[in-house]
Amino acid sequence: MPEEIQEIIQVENLKKKYGPIKAVDGISFIVKRGEIFGFLGPNGAGKTTTINILCTLNQPTSGVAYVDGYNVVSHPDEIRNSIGLVFQEITLDDHLTAEENLYLHAMLYGVSRKEFTQRKIEVLKLCELWEWRKKRVHDFSGGMKRRLEIARSLITQPKILFFDEPTVGLDPQTRKKIWDYIFNIRKKKDITIFLTTQYLNEAESCDRIAIIDRGQIIALDTPDNLKKMIGGDIITIKTEDNDSAEEEFKNKFPQYSIKKIGKELKIETDKGDEFLPILVRGLKAKIISMELRRPTLDDVFLEVTGRQIRENGNGIVEKETPSFDLSNLFSLFTPPNNNHDKQTKS
Amino acid sequence: MINKPNLNNLSGIYILWYREILIYIRNHIKFFTSIFLPVLFLIFFGTGLKTVFPLITLPYDFSEFFFPGILALSITTMALSSTMSIVWDREFGFLKEILVSPVPRSYIALGKILGAATTGIIEGALLLLVSPYLGINFSFRLYFICLGIIFLIAYGMASLGICLTARIKRTESFSFILQLIIAPMVFLSGAFFPINNSPLWMVNLSRYNPLTYGINSLRWAILSQTLSPEIISQLTTNNFLTSLGILIVFDILITLLSIQLFRKMC
Repeated sequence: MPEEIQEIIQVENLKKKYGPIKAVDGISFIVKRGEIFGFLGPNGAGKTTTINILCTLNQPTSGVAYVDGYNVVSHPDEIRNSIGLVFQEITLDDHLTAEENLYLHAMLYGVSRKEFTQRKIEVLKLCELWEWRKKRVHDFSGGMKRRLEIARSLITQPKILFFDEPTVGLDPQTRKKIWDYIFNIRKKKDITIFLTTQYLNEAESCDRIAIIDRGQIIALDTPDNLKKMIGGDIITIKTEDNDSAEEEFKNKFPQYSIKKIGKELKIETDKGDEFLPILVRGLKAKIISMELRRPTLDDVFLEVTGRQIRENGNGIVEKETPSFDLSNLFSLFTPPNNNHDKQTKS
Repeated sequence: MINKPNLNNLSGIYILWYREILIYIRNHIKFFTSIFLPVLFLIFFGTGLKTVFPLITLPYDFSEFFFPGILALSITTMALSSTMSIVWDREFGFLKEILVSPVPRSYIALGKILGAATTGIIEGALLLLVSPYLGINFSFRLYFICLGIIFLIAYGMASLGICLTARIKRTESFSFILQLIIAPMVFLSGAFFPINNSPLWMVNLSRYNPLTYGINSLRWAILSQTLSPEIISQLTTNNFLTSLGILIVFDILITLLSIQLFRKMC
């Protein structure tokens, strides 16, 4: 079954509940062999939970997941032997040297000593840590620790590498370097990479990305295709009175979409450079500033998460309940009147 | 699930053991104090108390009596505090790296226990070298018998430590709890005074103390060089074989418990 093997990760309707909280709420996706697949989402979106389930560290509440053809629930050992994993937090032993950390990992995964001595040279050179191999990890910088972790994950020659936010807590320069290493690995080795990130510019370099929010995948495609969802260019304007400007725009140019984001108005058009003069001439509202640019994943993210909020309450933004409300106190004494309560809550 | 014997997993035990030793030896301060402190105890405490109980009132040399107690106290402290590395690893994230590996939980626990026990043996082996200076006649045979008993004590205490790490998640709390456990265990074991002459409630409590049997065994092994069995039985609660047997049974039971607790913890 060559087709099945081609899809190295298969996930269907995966759910994970922690008590009443749905960390992962019915996600389905496929990762193809050899691609870099990114999971993009804010903190608490369910990224780490998904990775933990795929790496068999966590059991799903329901749904199925296959990694390299093995079910994550019934064959955890086979999967653990064919994956490499880099956690969000550093998991190196500070007492030991870089080389000893690698050796420990190799032994834990049953790599023979002979193979280890060969692979050690390769991975240490790949991550440019060869000169540092005898130094204690305690003295390493954050970026070096990360690189050592990447090197360590490669020592078992995994088919799939899982990176859970590999660049979190690093400065932008180091972050870029880490990405260079990750791409370098992909170029040199036949390996599939599954990663999570909350940085949009990082997700952009993946082959395909899934945008995840509140435990659900809300968009999944190549970065380019996702950007095409926005359609054309983006013009952001700032006016003295955004509300009336928005109203005016909707009347004059009903064919274009406009949205208020923060203190700016965002307009999506197909040919931004031609539309800009028309807009300036047509709009009576006093414009403070304006900007024309190509869509980025930022826009995609706003677009898809924004749409979700609108779907929820038909345009009505959920009212924030006050943190302390006396009426809640009274409800303690009255018997629960389900119907009434539910209506006000939803 | 297929349960096939996997040699890879044994290398897991080995490497976790190896790491424990490496950390122990590399931590020069810990290594030095772990040897130096008991020696200080032996020299000053032993010589000091000898003047209180001069040879006339006792049928034995006080340092002879004292040595097995200090030995047991040191290896107990050593083995127990070595298991703290688990708490430490958890705090610094390294435990995750171990737990994710294909090595079974029970092997991880065993590797840790053996590592901690070995640190106890290293300490014990070095302390035994001091004993000739205290007037104890030592032969090679006795040396290895003592090492064997030391291993049994250290192993049991290391397993006990693993049980504790399953409950206590913070380093600071762990070191306090350790002291809280070591102190009564040592006082109720006859390390510093023969427990036989104590009030009945203390004797009864000491029966439930695994360290009592460890010290009994050590005492029988070391003192039988110079003293008659009648005198030694005054200083111990049970005879040699019973003590050794109970110690081994304790080791087996506590290993099973620690593996169980370790599995649950993860």
